Amino acid sequence: MSDIFKLVAKRLGLGLVTLFVVSILIFFAVELLPGDIAQAVLGQGATEETVARLRERMGLNDPAIMRYLNWLGGALQGDFGVSLISGTSVTEAITQRFLNTLFLAAYAAVIAVPFAIILGVLVALMRDTLFDRAANVLTLTSISSPEFFLGYVLILYLSVKTGWFPAISSLSPGMGFGELLERTFLPALTLVLVVTAHMMRMTRAAIINLLASPYIEMARLKGMPPWKVIVKHALPNAWAPIINVVALNLAYLITGVVLVEVVFVYPGIGQLLVDAVSKRDFPIVQACCLIFAATFILLNLAADVGSILTNPRLRHPK
Amino acid sequence: MGRFSEKDVLLDITDLQIEGYSDETWVPIIKGVDLKLHRGEVLGLIGESGAGKSTIGAAAMGYARDGTRISGGSIEFDGMELTTASEGERRALRGSRIAYVAQSAAASFNPAHKIIDQHTEAPVHYRIQKRMEAQEDAKELYERLRLPNPQEIGFRYPHQVSGGQLQRAMTAMAMSCRPDLIIFDEPTTALDVTTQIEVLAAIRDIVDQFNTAAIYITHDLAVVAQMADTIKVLLKGEEVEQATTDRMLTDPQEDYTKSLWAVRSFKRPQKARPTDGTKPIVSVRGVDASYTGGDKVLDDVSFDIYPGMTVAVVGESGSGKSTTARVITGLLPPSKGEVLFDGEPLPPRYEDRSRDQLRQAQMIYQMADTALNPKVRIREIIGRPAQFYSGLKGSALKQRVDELLDLIELEPSQYYNRYPPELSGGQKQRIGIARALAAEPDFIICDEVTSALDQLVAEGILKLLDRLQNELGLAYMFITHDLATVRSIADEVVVMQNGRVVEQGPKEQMFTPPHHPYTDLLLSSVPEMDPNWLTTLLEERGVDNIGEAAGETKDGSEKASSA
Amino acid sequence: MSVFVIGYYSVLIAASCLAVYLERRRVFMLLFSLTLISFVAGILGGVSALRTITILVAVFALAAGVSYAFKEFLIQISRPGLARELRTAPLTAAFGMFVIFTYAIAGIFAPWIAPHGQAEVISTSFAPPDANMLLGADQLGRDVFSRIVYGARNTVGLALAATVLAFVMGALAGLLAAVKGGWFDQFMGRFADVIMSVPSLIFALLMLSIFGTSLLVIVVVVAVIYSPRVFRLTRAVAGNVVVMDYIEAAKLRGEGDWYLIRREILPNSTAPLVAEFGLEFCFVFLLIAGLSFLGLGIQPPTADWGSMVRENATLISFGDITPLIPAAAIALLTVAVNFVVDWMLFRSTGLKG
Repeated sequence: MSDIFKLVAKRLGLGLVTLFVVSILIFFAVELLPGDIAQAVLGQGATEETVARLRERMGLNDPAIMRYLNWLGGALQGDFGVSLISGTSVTEAITQRFLNTLFLAAYAAVIAVPFAIILGVLVALMRDTLFDRAANVLTLTSISSPEFFLGYVLILYLSVKTGWFPAISSLSPGMGFGELLERTFLPALTLVLVVTAHMMRMTRAAIINLLASPYIEMARLKGMPPWKVIVKHALPNAWAPIINVVALNLAYLITGVVLVEVVFVYPGIGQLLVDAVSKRDFPIVQACCLIFAATFILLNLAADVGSILTNPRLRHPK
Repeated sequence: MGRFSEKDVLLDITDLQIEGYSDETWVPIIKGVDLKLHRGEVLGLIGESGAGKSTIGAAAMGYARDGTRISGGSIEFDGMELTTASEGERRALRGSRIAYVAQSAAASFNPAHKIIDQHTEAPVHYRIQKRMEAQEDAKELYERLRLPNPQEIGFRYPHQVSGGQLQRAMTAMAMSCRPDLIIFDEPTTALDVTTQIEVLAAIRDIVDQFNTAAIYITHDLAVVAQMADTIKVLLKGEEVEQATTDRMLTDPQEDYTKSLWAVRSFKRPQKARPTDGTKPIVSVRGVDASYTGGDKVLDDVSFDIYPGMTVAVVGESGSGKSTTARVITGLLPPSKGEVLFDGEPLPPRYEDRSRDQLRQAQMIYQMADTALNPKVRIREIIGRPAQFYSGLKGSALKQRVDELLDLIELEPSQYYNRYPPELSGGQKQRIGIARALAAEPDFIICDEVTSALDQLVAEGILKLLDRLQNELGLAYMFITHDLATVRSIADEVVVMQNGRVVEQGPKEQMFTPPHHPYTDLLLSSVPEMDPNWLTTLLEERGVDNIGEAAGETKDGSEKASSA
Repeated sequence: MSVFVIGYYSVLIAASCLAVYLERRRVFMLLFSLTLISFVAGILGGVSALRTITILVAVFALAAGVSYAFKEFLIQISRPGLARELRTAPLTAAFGMFVIFTYAIAGIFAPWIAPHGQAEVISTSFAPPDANMLLGADQLGRDVFSRIVYGARNTVGLALAATVLAFVMGALAGLLAAVKGGWFDQFMGRFADVIMSVPSLIFALLMLSIFGTSLLVIVVVVAVIYSPRVFRLTRAVAGNVVVMDYIEAAKLRGEGDWYLIRREILPNSTAPLVAEFGLEFCFVFLLIAGLSFLGLGIQPPTADWGSMVRENATLISFGDITPLIPAAAIALLTVAVNFVVDWMLFRSTGLKG
């Protein structure tokens, strides 16, 4: 087992290094801002005095390395500094919204993952049938559509025309879980549509690739019935690709969630990020970017570790 | 026909037609083949790649691979018509009454399950044996197939076992339900000669013991001569002829078969080293080499190649013969030692060599398909070195290309503007030779140049190389594993094993005993066209003195066999 | 039961029977499942549902017909070699090519096709469609149709520029990495990993918040974000070519890297690279559309599909589909490119299915 342990440790280390490099990238990108940050934030009309005050507050008089270490140290303890616009704590602004976003992503994932994998396997088994071709065209259409297109189509048909679901996902504290699910149904469905299509296509490709292996042909030539070929011979080798597909698509959800939150005015971290970008509230932008990137890296890491752990060649070393 | 009578017919294929799907249409790949197999008979199916032997093998199980379909004819197995039987009925035969042994055992064992669990799958599925009984039976079969540690080896995963052993384990798996018929699809093609012989002996033995009928598919005539009672020759999806092994070897009827059988007639006299103090053109001196981070792959390799002479470097895969070529060309700088060219040391890395140094040592590759860029015209493939080294342009360049094409016996006007994929294997190899000649070298490395070619074509290439050597005074380093080639063209032989030179000397001396033990093993392991060769060899050497077993006792090391 | 309903079902059932008679199994399955769906839809949604189905089928048939005709047209005008390739194209790919062709025409000839200027205010805000304005007016009273036509030029042009830049950077780096190997290869690989470990939209938002939203910044930022993808693919494709013996032969001849790339590797990598260009375009196009939807893309008054969706979004709550039109324009082009890429990938890999 030492080999596998080493590989996992190596991959974890690599993930940490990547995260570290990305944090540097996010922090120092702001340093690239042409001219003075405080000036840029306040605009040309600001007096020298206000600019100086802001510089003081942002700690701009310290060297960049110091500020980076302070920022990173704070971030590790959950403190992302204060907003440039409102002057309130960034962490406070983010926490609830981040939980909302996680809820939305989880909601979509719980529906999409089993649905997409089952459909993907089915389509792979029924390859070259009419069903397969139709699924191909539909999924291709779905992944080609911008999230906001799907979102507005759903609003038009499931909200405006039929009134089945609310078009705007306003959340209020003390809402029942059932009501919560109903209010967030449309954004979740939008995400499900996009992610399912991606996941289905990838699952299909992975399974078809697997079914072309000589050992699958061998199992068939041993007279094993099709279900046994799938369950006993294909599935144990399919975990790695399936784990990969799931993790990649969960990571994809993160990007998709930003646009969907804006369409449905959902109080999540994505909308916060977009607002902060247009107001150039850098502490919030940096915090959101770091959180998104960290989630993304963690998911990719989980996928790689998962495929290492399920690889029979590594599980049973020579 | 001899020992088999009409009532013992097990498999009767008549007018079999199979089509393959390519470019949106169905094209015939098997064009009406008949095949009759009796109980206990071993039929050898031979032919080049694309002859359709493997497709027929699968069809004998009522199985059509993805992208192929059986479009006509009948396949009758023990009185049951497979082409009209339901999928369920056909499936019930597979594994129980007809079993399959694939070419690559490493890819055909499921990496997720232990070997013995894959072995017992069929008997348990068909309720022939309980799991425990099947396991005991498996161990017994492993024992009979002379696998090391038969009690324990099945409980390993496929990647923990060596290729030759896996191939025997797969044969055992095919035997698990004591089938009436086993299809062997090139079972030893991926193995080295010394490993191959062991697997061949094991397969022949077990097929004999259980009196199982078998279809043995291969492209290697000498191998099929050991295994088969009857041989059927295929060409492009059609039968050429069929006869008993003895008759087929002694008295083939068709021209195509004769051409396959033609023992290499070409043999040129052995040249001796110049005695007038001429320096060797290439001299490898005490070379050690390793790939980044790996173990040593070359260990103190030294030999000389004199102008106008051919040195054959012989060995199995992993022996370091191709690595030696990489060191000479400068692709892999040695960690110790040096390579002298005309007495001058060559810079170890090819990037540091001068154009003239690069020009003088050229290379011809084994696979002409990967050696010629498919998207470049012949005139540029041959013309580029001439242009690059001699600065020829315009009509001078064209004239030089024409000259080179003449030299390799291809009509210039016909080939000048063509692309490599439009040529046959032999023609491509000739273009490869012309490209090497275009640089006007003194020394050419020929890396297994004939092993991908049919006998007759290969012979043509050897003759051409010999003629060019005489006309242009070239020295060759001839890397090969084929001893017949060595016999016909070499002046001196270097035998390599595990990165070391175990023996070297003039050809005649190398082919007469006494040998170094490894040379001996290598020489004796190469199958010969005599049907009794394997039997005689086993009698002479004993079953424990062949293949990996012999290798182990000779170096005293364990090669991925027993742990 | 209206005449329409009776006619509807009799046509479907008659067509199904005809399919059975002609032994066209697939056509029959298609028609008969449509009949069954119509039963359910008719009970649930009444006549209007059946009318919708009729319209959808008609649109579908029209698209199929146009695609077929366009494919035949292309086969007629192209060289024999290309024509043979085109014959293998499925209808979806032909449809894709037709759509791309249409968009190209719209983009190139936008000023001649559009009846009004893209920034020209000619009416009151949200004026309904009339003879002068095919699709009505937007929130400032500009002609929506004209702005959509101009959008084909602006949005697609921007995406194309970013894709070309991403492609040139990524492919060049990938080819060099494959030829040079060693530390350069390692370094570029790591570098690509880092860029790809930040989600693309997030990365774009970060960069745009810093550098502002000028066109040049958008093109460069988007190109930087997507070039690692091109790099990886090119590296992989070229990696497969570099191990060939003919590359070794050329290296041993003393040829330089540039010769290797240009004469030996590129001619053998064009098919997958062209397909990747199409895929890459889809990603870039969707990202740019997303950015302009968030108000961070092409700035007004230049017509742009993403921002048109955002500007007219309020109309959705009145059941007006105006904001969906530019969104559909984005989706349609992406679908079209994907259809063509799907076919090309199938051709170049020879994968069944």
